Amino acid sequence: MNAVLQMTGVSRTHGEGATLVHALRTITFAAYAGELVAVMGPSGSGKSTLLTLAGGLDTPSGGTVAVEGTDLGVLGHKDRAKLRRSAIGYVFQDFNLIPALTAAENVALPRELDGVSARAAAALARDALADVGIDDLADRYPDEMSGGQQQRVAIARAIVGERRLILADEPTGALDTETGEEILRLLRARCDAGAAGVLVTHEARHAAWADRVVFLRDGIVIDESGSAPVDALLQPELSR
Amino acid sequence: MNPLRRWAPALRVARREAVRARGRSALVLGMIALPVLGVTAADVVIQTAKISGAEAIERRLGTADARITLEPGITKMRQTPDPDAGGWSGDGGRREAVTGFTDLETVLGRDLAAVEVVEASQMVVTDVGVADIQVIETDLTDDLTDGLYRITEGRVATASDEVVVNGALAARGFGVGDPLEVRNGPTLNVVGIGESTSVRGYPLAVAPLGSFGLRTNPGSHRWLVDAGGAVTWDEVRALNEVGALVLSRAVLLDPPSTSQLDPDIQYSTGTDDALIAVIALVVVMALLEVVLLAGPAFAVIARRMQRSLALMAATGATPPQARRVVLASGIVLGAAGAVLGVGLGLLVAWLSLPVVQRFTDAFLGPFDVPWLHLVGIAGFGLLSALLAAIVPAWISSRQDVVSVLAGRRGDSKPSLRSPLLGVLLLLGGGVALAVYGATTRQNGEYAIAVAAIVAVLGMILLVPFVVVGLSKLAGVLPLPMRYAVRDAARHRTRTVPAVAAVAATVAGVVALGIANASDAAKSEATYTYALPMGQASLTTYRGGADWDAYRRVAEQFVPDAQVMPVQGVQGNGRAWTDVVFRLDGERPFLTAYGSRLGTDVPVAGADGALPAFVNGIDEDERERAEAALRAGGAVVFVSENVTADEATLVVRAHGPDSGDPVRVTMPVAAITVNPLDEAFRGVLSVEAAAAVGVEAATVGLVIDGAEISEAQEQDVQEALAAISPSLSFYVERGYQPPDENLIILLVLGALGGVLMLGGTLTATFLSLSDARPDLATLSAVGASPRTRRAVAASYAMVIGVVGAVLGAAVGFIPGVAVSFPLTNASYIQDIDPSLPGHFLAIPWLLIGSLVVALPLLTAAVVALATRSRLPLVARID
Repeated sequence: MNAVLQMTGVSRTHGEGATLVHALRTITFAAYAGELVAVMGPSGSGKSTLLTLAGGLDTPSGGTVAVEGTDLGVLGHKDRAKLRRSAIGYVFQDFNLIPALTAAENVALPRELDGVSARAAAALARDALADVGIDDLADRYPDEMSGGQQQRVAIARAIVGERRLILADEPTGALDTETGEEILRLLRARCDAGAAGVLVTHEARHAAWADRVVFLRDGIVIDESGSAPVDALLQPELSR
Repeated sequence: MNPLRRWAPALRVARREAVRARGRSALVLGMIALPVLGVTAADVVIQTAKISGAEAIERRLGTADARITLEPGITKMRQTPDPDAGGWSGDGGRREAVTGFTDLETVLGRDLAAVEVVEASQMVVTDVGVADIQVIETDLTDDLTDGLYRITEGRVATASDEVVVNGALAARGFGVGDPLEVRNGPTLNVVGIGESTSVRGYPLAVAPLGSFGLRTNPGSHRWLVDAGGAVTWDEVRALNEVGALVLSRAVLLDPPSTSQLDPDIQYSTGTDDALIAVIALVVVMALLEVVLLAGPAFAVIARRMQRSLALMAATGATPPQARRVVLASGIVLGAAGAVLGVGLGLLVAWLSLPVVQRFTDAFLGPFDVPWLHLVGIAGFGLLSALLAAIVPAWISSRQDVVSVLAGRRGDSKPSLRSPLLGVLLLLGGGVALAVYGATTRQNGEYAIAVAAIVAVLGMILLVPFVVVGLSKLAGVLPLPMRYAVRDAARHRTRTVPAVAAVAATVAGVVALGIANASDAAKSEATYTYALPMGQASLTTYRGGADWDAYRRVAEQFVPDAQVMPVQGVQGNGRAWTDVVFRLDGERPFLTAYGSRLGTDVPVAGADGALPAFVNGIDEDERERAEAALRAGGAVVFVSENVTADEATLVVRAHGPDSGDPVRVTMPVAAITVNPLDEAFRGVLSVEAAAAVGVEAATVGLVIDGAEISEAQEQDVQEALAAISPSLSFYVERGYQPPDENLIILLVLGALGGVLMLGGTLTATFLSLSDARPDLATLSAVGASPRTRRAVAASYAMVIGVVGAVLGAAVGFIPGVAVSFPLTNASYIQDIDPSLPGHFLAIPWLLIGSLVVALPLLTAAVVALATRSRLPLVARID
């Protein structure tokens, strides 16, 4: 089975000479449909860098990043943007909702940017909001919602329109325990429905929701739990 | 703590912030420097062009101590220190002895050396005919005239058959070595080309005394005098007593006070009050504009510092200390902008002097820098920066520390107080004052000017309300516009000043545009046609005309036209006949004078047909008129409906053979015409003319049927001038709007465009920099790189359209109001009741382009100037 996200020998450096910093050193990483992968590690280990490379928000200094078989490196800005609109969903730690748009408009954003008519996009948005359980807040502005509600809107935005890859960067960082658990439950449900999810977190209890945990330190994978992709649960003879 | 120590940290922070945010600082610097630059350059150019008495001395006096003018018939002179500028008045009378040069020497008590200067105009022969030029006879080789005339080619005229011409005359075809022939006068050789230091545009020739044989009035003289020293003001007054007008070098350099002038002449040195009022208004408006444009910039600076200021407050700073930091950036950027503006203004003025010179007739003086003015202008720039920084400074000193530290963006909810006050000002102040100004009898313009300012202020208070209202309706707009409108409403501190600046500018342009258009409409409607459009007439005011020769000239230069003779009662010349129609013994209803065709009463042809050049009559009336003419009667033009079949012709001949008036009653057709269109009193048939003893003669020529260009007109004028000086050739070109109208409209449109572009660009780029986090989110969510451009263009559209619509609406108030006193044409109605008593013309093209085209253009410029790449950051802070 093909990986939804396949990173091969990817490295990323910043600066040069005396200020050279290796954020990632030739890591190989994959996420498959139906599984939620957690990426853990201390700060400075390169977790966020891995996520930004995976989402096409940044270009690697070496190696290839492929989403659904397409090498992001050969795509131009416009095509990468298209991928972010239709295939990849990103959830940030500080929500990053646009304060000037209502919840429904924020969720409809990727679809509207993709050329879908406002009405159709609004309908899809409402479906996504219903999925995350806050369709009654559709016409509220972000200023008028709590942190947990905003993060749900952000997740709705990441999943609207059937995305296949969801990247979440410490989505529960700004939330209380109970709300955090709710959020992860949503992510888990999404992955069960067929998407591939990559969750960056530093809390073990959140990582417990994942099928597989990858540990990073100083830019390299130092450990990985779960020796086989999910298919292995169904086909014992397949191995990594 | 002494003030310097209080401000030092704030200034340091402001300076560092300004250097860090280079783009934004450059924008604010530009906002402040540009008006300062403009005013500086304009002031320097004006000061340089204004040849004040002291600067222009060599140009008028050469190296002489004084210029003394004597006119016969003036026995006592009263003058200002500079009679060319300030004026003079003289008393006339008969004198036993005419004042001469020796009398001047007697008054001054010393011998004088002098060079005489004689000025006159002469006709010279050109290729096409004859042209009128200015002529000066003087001795250019004498030292006293050094500085009056600058030779650029060839040499000075020394012999009496030599002449020097200026550039304007040389352009007519008189180069060095060519002959210059004076009509009925000598022919001189052109030996040099130069420029008179005071006159450029008019053709001028200079020759030694006596070359042209100028016959000036006996007793009239002008001398450049070497008095062996200064001619003081007391000596000038003494010379005035003998009737001499004196321009003295010493007096120009050190003018006496007004009290030392003759009391009768003191009034002419007053200043122009209206000019001062206009200058004050312009200064206030300019200040308002700069404040409104720089305001958004300082608002953003304050927002950037918000976090730092909140931290300062959290650690114990007081509100004044927080305010000081924002005000300090006002001081830093204001001072830098003012100095930059003055420096660049001087450069621009210096560079533009050659261009200005090309367009003016008078010579510009030496580069004159009015330093005191410049200090004032720079102070103005600094003041406007401070004013622009005050509101953001105040807001930032009272912000909610907790919400800022928690990272919430956006302004608080708008209050209802300001819009209510705004409506009050707009309706109560603006509209009411405007109505008062429009209907009052005198000086309504001042009330309307105040109304304009009050209305603009009221509108400014309404802008937040409008912007917020617009954001509520934005749901139906496409994404970039929806985002721009809502974001603009959320950050009113930044948006409102920009919209207000655009609106204030547009209001001013619209008001002035309406006033201008209404005035032009009135001029056009009340224009009286001397002839039908396109027709030309050739007349003379002397007798003894050679009509065949004139006809040949007309046919030569306007080959396609028909030339028809005008037969009529001789109305000009030494013997002329006055024909008046009286109906029922009453005064005539219509008295027309000054027909362009040489007569007030033309005579019809032998077949009784109405002459072709009689216009303004309907077809059916023409029938009636011709019937009367065929019956041997006459046609009378009246301004009201009259049912009379008969009239009495009263014919009075003037001149050497005048006799008693002749009265004959005859059948007439009375035809009603528009008095502004008809220039004749009536038409006589041949029999009627014979009956009153009038001989019909050719009194003029009508040229019709072809379009006569301005070049052809000039050729005909010159050719006719060669034949006889008393001929008049007139081409009816209809209402010609004066060139200044078009120039005013263009300047208004350009000014509006520049200010709108400036305001919109400022606000848009500030908004873009403010919206960086949102743009990064858009990028993360998958917006194409073009989206940044679309968002920028949307910001520009919002500001441009809202500002232009509001401004145009408000501009109507003073514009419509001022059209009333401006176009008050009640006197016209007395003459022609069909004309309205008031004219209102709305320049829809100007308004449409301001409201529609200009915002679109601005948005396009902004879109082109914006980077299209969205910021790509995942961690937004």
